Amino acid sequence: MRYIEWFVLFIIGACGTGLANLIGYGVPFLDSVPGLAVMLVISMAGVFLSKIVPLKLPILAYCSIIGLLSACPVSPIRSFVIQAVSAINFTAPFTMVGAFAGLAISDQLKTFVSQGWKILIVGIFVMTGTFLGSCLWDQMILTLVGAI
Amino acid sequence: MSRKKETYVYSSLMERFALEWKIYVLAFIFILIADSIGQIKIPVGKGMFILFPIFYAIILGVMCGPQVLKIVESKHVKAASKLVVVGICPFIAKLGITAGANIDTILSAGPALLFHGFGNLLGPILALPVAILLGMKREAVGACHSINREYHMALINNIYGSDSAEARGSLSIYIVGGMVGTIYFGLMASVIGSIGWFHPRALGLASGVGAGIMMASASASLCAIYPEMAETISAMASVGETMAGITGIYITMFLAIPMCDKLYTILEPKLGKFALRSAKDTLREKK
Repeated sequence: MRYIEWFVLFIIGACGTGLANLIGYGVPFLDSVPGLAVMLVISMAGVFLSKIVPLKLPILAYCSIIGLLSACPVSPIRSFVIQAVSAINFTAPFTMVGAFAGLAISDQLKTFVSQGWKILIVGIFVMTGTFLGSCLWDQMILTLVGAI
Repeated sequence: MSRKKETYVYSSLMERFALEWKIYVLAFIFILIADSIGQIKIPVGKGMFILFPIFYAIILGVMCGPQVLKIVESKHVKAASKLVVVGICPFIAKLGITAGANIDTILSAGPALLFHGFGNLLGPILALPVAILLGMKREAVGACHSINREYHMALINNIYGSDSAEARGSLSIYIVGGMVGTIYFGLMASVIGSIGWFHPRALGLASGVGAGIMMASASASLCAIYPEMAETISAMASVGETMAGITGIYITMFLAIPMCDKLYTILEPKLGKFALRSAKDTLREKK
């Protein structure tokens, strides 16, 4: 995608997040704007880095790392960044993702149903094992380093 | 720069709009509906199920698709799958900020973070015997090796070939994950989170399983259960997911797939004889 496409799509996404923040949590749209702007700038920076850095990391990894750096104690804009995004509720950006994800899988519904219950059971076991395994493992390693 | 020139799906931004406006409008309508309903908490025993607006949005999306209400066509479906990442980038950016703001929490976990991701291997260990007992053959290796998101599937296709049984198995779990994964991770995290076996910090870290949307769903549930720990949980989830994004592909390539393959060759001869047979197989044997 071109930068301009990313940019316009991020603006549409930001409007959706602002709307969800208003309806779901009663935050006036204008109060969301600084936070949305911060998130948009970081996302654009993530897109930019993923295009120019030869490392094959997903865009999401860049967004996460830039977000972390912008809010860590050595960042000069730390307090502004943290304060701005604190207006955006944790799950507000999320509804729009669900809308896209739902539409994106809508043509697999018949395949999903026709695969039947066996695949569903296997899938449930894979997901449960993955998450439960992570919980057990992470609980153990965090205990070992004394973090919990 | 010697990078390959990117090919564009659309010749211009206007062309993108001409096709995708319907998706944007629907997304805004879904937000209006889903966020008006809001979170619903259903107490179950000691814990609770939490239903989030994203669940309703997913269901509304599937309903509008070409196989139910036919409001959108296949070309829209294809376009929407590219938009998921656009929607999730700002969310991950916000999580990154939470992580930065709580950097002490993260640094206190220190070297442990590097090892996050190996816990995922319980998935294949738990699922593979079940798959074999249900009568799956080599498909089970592809199906069980991981939660089968895009990059896992790409690896399986790469190793076994895209017309292999393993690739078929991988694809089927990919579809299951897409259909029920987000909702299931949210519900599962609310149950596992509320039984009290695990520290919220470990739960947060564990949410980073290598699929952004599943991490988001799981951590949202955990934050609702432990509101006073919400910052810590989302900071840990963000780091966990970032680590999984970096180490996940290697863990899958060098550990999960070989282990699953080996486990299959050990278990199949033992468990295969007890496997469920489809009616067709039984008929064939009688003849």
